[in-house]
Amino acid sequence: MEHESCRGGAKAMLNLQPNSSISTAYHPHFGPHDDLMLLEIDEKLLPDILHNRVSLRGQSDEEVVLCTPSKTYAVKLFGTSNFVFLVPPSDPSESSETASNEPVVASVLKVALGIMELVEVAPKLDKLKLLLMENPYRPEDEMDVEELEEIEKDKMGLFRWEDLVDRIQASDEELRAGLRALLAVEIDGYWRIVDEKYMDIVLSMLLHNAVLNGWSLNALKEDEVVGMLEADGFPRRLALHCLEMYGGQVREGNGSNGRAWVLDERWVCIHFARVVLKGGKMKMESFMDEWMKKIPARMSASFEMLEGEVLVERLGVETWIRAFSVSSLPSTPVDRFVVLFRERQKWEWKDLQPYIRDLRIPGLPSKGLLLKYTRKMQPTSDAEPVFSAR
Amino acid sequence: MQIQVKCGCREDSCPEWAIVELQGAVEAQPSFRDRLQNLEIGCLCRPSSEEKYTFTVGYHELSGSKVPLKKPLLVLKKKRAFDPEESIDSDPNSSRMELEVIGIIRQRILFKTRPKALISKPQPTIKEKKVTPPVTLFQG
Repeated sequence: MEHESCRGGAKAMLNLQPNSSISTAYHPHFGPHDDLMLLEIDEKLLPDILHNRVSLRGQSDEEVVLCTPSKTYAVKLFGTSNFVFLVPPSDPSESSETASNEPVVASVLKVALGIMELVEVAPKLDKLKLLLMENPYRPEDEMDVEELEEIEKDKMGLFRWEDLVDRIQASDEELRAGLRALLAVEIDGYWRIVDEKYMDIVLSMLLHNAVLNGWSLNALKEDEVVGMLEADGFPRRLALHCLEMYGGQVREGNGSNGRAWVLDERWVCIHFARVVLKGGKMKMESFMDEWMKKIPARMSASFEMLEGEVLVERLGVETWIRAFSVSSLPSTPVDRFVVLFRERQKWEWKDLQPYIRDLRIPGLPSKGLLLKYTRKMQPTSDAEPVFSAR
Repeated sequence: MQIQVKCGCREDSCPEWAIVELQGAVEAQPSFRDRLQNLEIGCLCRPSSEEKYTFTVGYHELSGSKVPLKKPLLVLKKKRAFDPEESIDSDPNSSRMELEVIGIIRQRILFKTRPKALISKPQPTIKEKKVTPPVTLFQG
C-alpha cells in the first residue's frame, strides 16, 4: 500500500500521548476493499494461525469451516450497525522521508461492515462413510498400481488422504479419528472400507487357523497370523487390518517381530451377531442358537455385548431381534434423533443411552442433548422415564 | 476444497492495525462522495493522561475510550493465487484462492456516547455564508 502524506497510521493513533491530537482522514486508497475481512479468534488459536497450520475447508455448496490441526469451527459473519473504521499501520519506509513538520494523520482504509466469528462445531464426518462406501475393498481389487492411476479415481470411488481432506469438513486429527472409527484401512495409498462379507471370510480363516495350530486367542503372534493368511492368498495389509479391527496389541516388538495381539471378545461376538442377523429379524431363540454356534470355542458371548447393535421387540408372545447398529446412524444430533424416533416413537433411557452416548456437541453435555432434542415423560418419580420426539 | 490461511509474520511482529468504532454514521457531503480519499474526517484528541478520547467530526464531539479487545481480530486478505503448474485445459476460474493474515487488532477506540453539539463561534459582524464541513456525523 502506498501512502501519501500519512505518517502516523494505527501506531500513532494507539500511542496518542496525553494532551495531543491526531487528524483522522480517509486513506488515499480508501474504498470498499471487499477482499479485506476481520476474523475474531481466541488467543489460544493464534499460534496455529501464525504458523500456517490453519485452513478453510468445504465445497462451494457447503458452509465454510475453519480447521486447526485438531478442531473444526463454523465461520459466522456478524454484521454491525456501528461505524467501524479500520486504520492500517503506516508504511514504515515513509516515516524517514516525510518532513517532521508534516501533520501526523491516521488514515481509514475501510469501513468494516461486519466481523467473522468462530464457533466450535463437531466435524462433519457422515460424508466420509458415504465416500468410502462407494467402493468397498473386495478381493478382486488387487490391481496394479499403474492401472489404478490411469482410471479416474473419483469415478472409481477411490480416495487418497488429500482427496478426503479436500472433501470432508474436519480437522486432520478429527479426520484420522473418523477413519479409525470406520475401521478404514489405507491400501496402496487409498483409504478403503473393507466389504463386510470379505472381512468375515478373513476373520473366519484366522479363527480356523488358530484352532488348527493351537494358537491362543489372547496371544496371537502377528508374524504367524499374517504369514499364514498370506499363504492362504490374502493380502498382507488386510490380514493385519483383521487384527486391528477385531483385536488389540498386547506386546510391542521391533517391527512386526514379536508383536502380539489379543482378539477382543466383544468385537468378535458382535461381528458374528451381525452376520446372523444379515437376513433380517429373527425370533430370539433362533438368533441365540445361531449366534452361539458361530462364537469361537474359547470365547463366551453375553447378550449385553450387543448394546447399541440390536433392537429387541415383543410382538405378541414372541420376542424378536434385529440388527440396528449405532455405527450406521448419522453423527449429527439432529439427524440421529430423527432416525431414532422414526425407528421407535418412544424409548426408555436404558435402550436409548447406547445409541446416543457417542454424540458430541462442543459445549453441550449429554443431559443438554436430551433437553434439546427429546420430550421426556415420567408419570411418577419412580417410573422409568420415556423419551419421544420433540 | 482447502484454502490455506497464510501468515508471513511471526508471532511478535504481526502488524498492528487499529479500529475506531462509533455508533451512528459518518457521512460526506454529496459533492465529496466520489473523492473521499485524503479527505479529513475529524480530529481525535486525548485530553489527559487517562485513556479517554474525544473525536470531533464536523460540529459534533464524541467521547470514548481506548479498550483492549476481549479477543484479538485478525485482518485477512483474500488473494487469488495463480498456479503456474495448472494445465491449459483447467478452468481459469479455479485458480486457487488464498487467505493471508496481514494484521492483528488488539485494541479499539470506542465511542458510544451521544454526540455533543459544539457551540458555534459567535457570528462575525460581516455576514458570512455558513460553511458545512465536508464530513459530518449522522445519527440515524
